[in-house]
Amino acid sequence: MGPSIYIRNLTVRVDGRAILDNVSTEIPSGFVTAIIGPNGAGKTTMLKVILNQIDYAGEVSFKGSDGSRIIPKFGYVPQTLDFDRGLPMTALDFLLLPLQKGPLWWGRKGRFVEIAFESLKLVEASHLAGRQIGKLSGGELQRILLASALSSKPNLLLLDEPVSGVDIAGERLFCDLLDSIRMRENFTMVIVSHDLSLVSNHADRVICLNQMLVCHGTTDEMLTPANLQAVFGHHSDAIRSQHILRKDFKNASER
Amino acid sequence: MDLFGLIYKFFGTVFPFEWAQSAFVIRALLGIIFLTLLCGAMGIMVVNFRMAFFSDTISHSAFTGVALGLLLGINPWMTLAIFAVIVGLGIIRVKRHTELSTDTVTGVFFSTVIAIGIAIISLRKGLNRDLQSYLFGDILTINEMELTAMIALFILGIIFIWLTYNKLLLIGLHEDLAFSKGMNTPLYQYIFAGLLAVVVAFGIRAVGLLLVTALLILPAASARNMARSAGSLFWWSMILALVSGIAGLASSLLWDVATGASVILAASLFFLISSMLRVIRTN
Repeated sequence: MGPSIYIRNLTVRVDGRAILDNVSTEIPSGFVTAIIGPNGAGKTTMLKVILNQIDYAGEVSFKGSDGSRIIPKFGYVPQTLDFDRGLPMTALDFLLLPLQKGPLWWGRKGRFVEIAFESLKLVEASHLAGRQIGKLSGGELQRILLASALSSKPNLLLLDEPVSGVDIAGERLFCDLLDSIRMRENFTMVIVSHDLSLVSNHADRVICLNQMLVCHGTTDEMLTPANLQAVFGHHSDAIRSQHILRKDFKNASER
Repeated sequence: MDLFGLIYKFFGTVFPFEWAQSAFVIRALLGIIFLTLLCGAMGIMVVNFRMAFFSDTISHSAFTGVALGLLLGINPWMTLAIFAVIVGLGIIRVKRHTELSTDTVTGVFFSTVIAIGIAIISLRKGLNRDLQSYLFGDILTINEMELTAMIALFILGIIFIWLTYNKLLLIGLHEDLAFSKGMNTPLYQYIFAGLLAVVVAFGIRAVGLLLVTALLILPAASARNMARSAGSLFWWSMILALVSGIAGLASSLLWDVATGASVILAASLFFLISSMLRVIRTN
């Protein structure tokens, strides 16, 4: 079972400006929690705080099922990789980078290759093992990034805008994979997203940020017109329309 | 007989050619072998981290390091290496603590160190004549102590690359992702920058400060054209760097051309060939 995350009076300042201001919330164990908000709301900053990558004021603690403090095992899926597409690296190489201690130029070690293939199998991407990462589509690359996150057997999976550069078919495949993996692995999952369709279909709980905490609770209770107005301001209508359109498209394609 | 005496004897016996009878040629050959292999390995990460401009700044900072050494009466190679390391670590430090882009931070350091160097040279007349050998380098004049230091640096560099190759590749792809896997990403970057600064300092001895970045970039760039995996990338870069070094040294001795220039020309030729092969392969 994944850890619960307790955040108390969290403030992050950059050059004197508050990116997150006195945020207190909880991320319960074993659920999918989405962090939503407009650009610059501090969503990715909160993810970096959880990953302990940046300095902050306040308290962030992780607790196990018995209430004791634990150190989580992170799995992290970034928005994308910013790399030179000509880099000669296969998807299998990419998965081995954090797993294998010895350098890849001294050969791939069998037991790590097995772990990498297990992760690829989980995301239905075994056939991509020998492909160059620079030649993968957005959706394929996201599945490889998910496989890399899963290869370290995490109990806390963090995803930063995981489907932002992916087409609708790729998005559906990715989200279905996430759902099926979570059913089996039972880890805590945190998704940063501005895609309300993804959030309403796949998240159990929502944290709405706009530098401060606007609301938090179950997805059904929180995704109300009033809360969306408070989070997204003038753009809330457009976001709701986009959300409804995408949901209609999804329902139509399912029929 | 000392170790170098044995090496000269070994070459003289195994290779029955005129060049193998000259101690300075053997030293230059060994120097170029160890240096190009090290540059081949380090160059992969220079390209991976997009640090060509960083490397250029380090090499140009050497100009100021040498000028400082000459002005203060200290061995210029020592001030060159120390100044290069300070500049390298300084760039990484400032880059990590500002919102400015890497290019901007590196550009600020580049222009500042060059300006300091020119100011020092203008203080002491005749200093610019001493600086010319650092501009173009000369591996043929390498002495036994320098060669020993170069071999030690090679061993250190290869151990570092052995321990960090996978990690540095991942940091270059996505630093936050590497951090989430428990890697101390700032520490790796500082160590790499410091080591690279020393490698650049030694590279200046061989090919001069104007061309040392090319010695790092060209074999690694050619290797990208040839390799199909992260493992073979390393071997291609090492082989192409080594062959460029030996071919450059040989042509320099044959046609009496500056060694640094002929090594880089050989590496450029390999880059051209590898680019053509890549186009053919892609089509």
